[in-house]
Amino acid sequence: MEGSPGTSMHGVTGREPVLAFSVASPMVPTDKTAHFDLPVDSEHKAKKFKLFSLANPHMRTFHLSWISFFTCFVSTFAAAPLVPIIRDNLNLTKGDIGNAGVASVSGSIFSRLVMGAVCDLLGPRYGCAFLVMMTAPTVFCMSFVSSAGGYVAVRFMIGFSLATFVSCQYWMSTMFNSQIIGLVNGTAAGWGNMGGGATQLLMPLLFEIIKSAGATPFTAWRIAFFIPGWLHIIMGLLVLTLGQDLPDGNLSTLQKKGEVAKDKFGKVLWYAVTNYRTWIFVLLYGYSMGVELSTDNVIAEYFYDRFDLKLHTAGVIAATFGMANLLARPFGGFASDYMARHFGMRGRLWTLWTLQTMGGVFCILLGRATSLPVAIAHMIIFSIGAQAACGATFGVVPFISRRSLGIISGLTGAGGNFGSGLTQLLFFTNAKHSTGTGLSYMGIMIVACTLPVAAIHFPQWGSMFFPPSKGVVEEHYYIKEYTEDEREKNMHLGNIKFAENSRSERGGNRVVSEATPPHA
Amino acid sequence: MAIRAFLIVLSCLAAATCRGATFSSLQQTLIVTASPQPAQVLKAGEDEITVTWSLNSTFPAGVDSSYKTVTIKLCYAPISQKYRGWRKTVDNLVKDKTCQHKIVANKPYISSSSNNTFTSTVLRDVPTATYFIRAYAQNSEGDEVAYGQTTDSHKAVNLFEIQAITGRHVSLDIASICFSAFSILSLFGFFFLEKRKSKASESK
Repeated sequence: MEGSPGTSMHGVTGREPVLAFSVASPMVPTDKTAHFDLPVDSEHKAKKFKLFSLANPHMRTFHLSWISFFTCFVSTFAAAPLVPIIRDNLNLTKGDIGNAGVASVSGSIFSRLVMGAVCDLLGPRYGCAFLVMMTAPTVFCMSFVSSAGGYVAVRFMIGFSLATFVSCQYWMSTMFNSQIIGLVNGTAAGWGNMGGGATQLLMPLLFEIIKSAGATPFTAWRIAFFIPGWLHIIMGLLVLTLGQDLPDGNLSTLQKKGEVAKDKFGKVLWYAVTNYRTWIFVLLYGYSMGVELSTDNVIAEYFYDRFDLKLHTAGVIAATFGMANLLARPFGGFASDYMARHFGMRGRLWTLWTLQTMGGVFCILLGRATSLPVAIAHMIIFSIGAQAACGATFGVVPFISRRSLGIISGLTGAGGNFGSGLTQLLFFTNAKHSTGTGLSYMGIMIVACTLPVAAIHFPQWGSMFFPPSKGVVEEHYYIKEYTEDEREKNMHLGNIKFAENSRSERGGNRVVSEATPPHA
Repeated sequence: MAIRAFLIVLSCLAAATCRGATFSSLQQTLIVTASPQPAQVLKAGEDEITVTWSLNSTFPAGVDSSYKTVTIKLCYAPISQKYRGWRKTVDNLVKDKTCQHKIVANKPYISSSSNNTFTSTVLRDVPTATYFIRAYAQNSEGDEVAYGQTTDSHKAVNLFEIQAITGRHVSLDIASICFSAFSILSLFGFFFLEKRKSKASESK
């Protein structure tokens, strides 16, 4: 059934490169009877990704989806570059500012979990529209805030909107064939994350314009918040009027065809939770995506205070951190694929470790920088490291499990937000040390918490330091997800195909040299 | 040898950052009094502050020969600096963040007059905090050379408070409610409209 755990990844064989732009006909047959702008498969999902098209429904969905997610990032981090003004208006202490930052990323841990169910019930179009339009009032609430408590509460509520990540990915998977879904989802996620950078540019600019129009600073920042609020409403209306749930129409007016073996949620959850690799990735993502979110919250204030910059100058510099997502995240996925071609899974793991540790080292240096050009250089390398690591993370995650991929991806994503809340609580809430010191400590924690990549061992492919176990092939690992009874019902056949196609993760010349034993 | 060179480079860098005057090198030759009473609460945008400054006659004549201009600022009392690193007191005056709001900027220094006064309304961007007032005497290059303040060296007496404007406006509140209502109503409007349409098409 559409939307049950893992269905969006059915058909993913594990062999397709993360950055495939299209899938050719022999691999996935084209449905010649359909009249769409792009070639489609039998489910009418697009087989090709045409970036500069707005054609209904596939590319239009892509653009509606990523821009909605982008808008939510803009509003969630809209307060960050204006903190120097807000902290004077509301008489905030460092603790208040830190708590607000934690609150802004915590809300979505829960809302993302609920969003999956909402998309199942109402479809991704209404899921996205509901979230975006019901969080618009929370953005407008900033005009009422007059105390630290109110500020923290409003930022918490605005943070719920980050669950558009789930509706975005869900909607993409209904519109795009699984062979290219990696690139589509990665691009949508990366471009949505850019909103955290764009807001650092937008909000100070709006503030300056409104101030020069005659408003006093303590009123101007409140007026500036109306713009993200209007963006929410506009995107919500566009999604409702221009969007549709499925290539052939909307959920409520269509009858679903075809049968996909329905899986039990309890089982899927069990296999996700009992696989130790899931939890290592929950930790790891907290120190790539998590630190990216934390930095979005503190970096403008850091530059404003430490280098005595003007508000909009600090905003411009802070924006370059988040905007690097445009290329850095896809680059991470590309690097992971490239290394996998030569060195297999070991290459992917080393790539992930290298990128994330590089990010950590330059975060340490950023906190200690005493001159502006050096600080900016360190920040840019830190951003590339952290964001590429996000991309590289999802180069490995699809191989942890095929059956529970949806839940593992969800848990990993939640780990990102949790890591962000934790680092803000530990390093940016205490007035005893400065923001610079906090950044350095965060960098040390990144390096330390990236070490567990070495513990990720696939029996069939090995790990960073150890070779694969003798005599184990891909089938052994992926078949273990189904019990004897389930195998008798042939529920595991998809996994067999997946295992076959994932042999490319052996890397280099191993793929050809080792014979495949007959299926157990 | 290498260590010595390194230390020379380090001290040069340190000297470069310490180019500004330090507060501890300033002489307290000015006497400053201001209209706010101890523990009085002033309202930003409404109440006025009157500052009076003069040279302390106990100092030898000619101590003010380099004073060219006077700048008077509102400075945060220690209680308003607590947990707020962006208001930290640092000896290097270029980096010092204690006094962030100007009342009088670069007024010419007249040594003969002992009755320099200035009155102004508290500006609307001054935050809620506890303050004292400090006057800096500057030389022809604009560097601080002397100071005077309304409180003692521990910044513990004669402090007053300023209550900032909230920044809120009734018109903003109303606009906010209107747009929020529009958002919710249009969303549910769409939802129920579409539901009704699909029910109608089903029953056909």
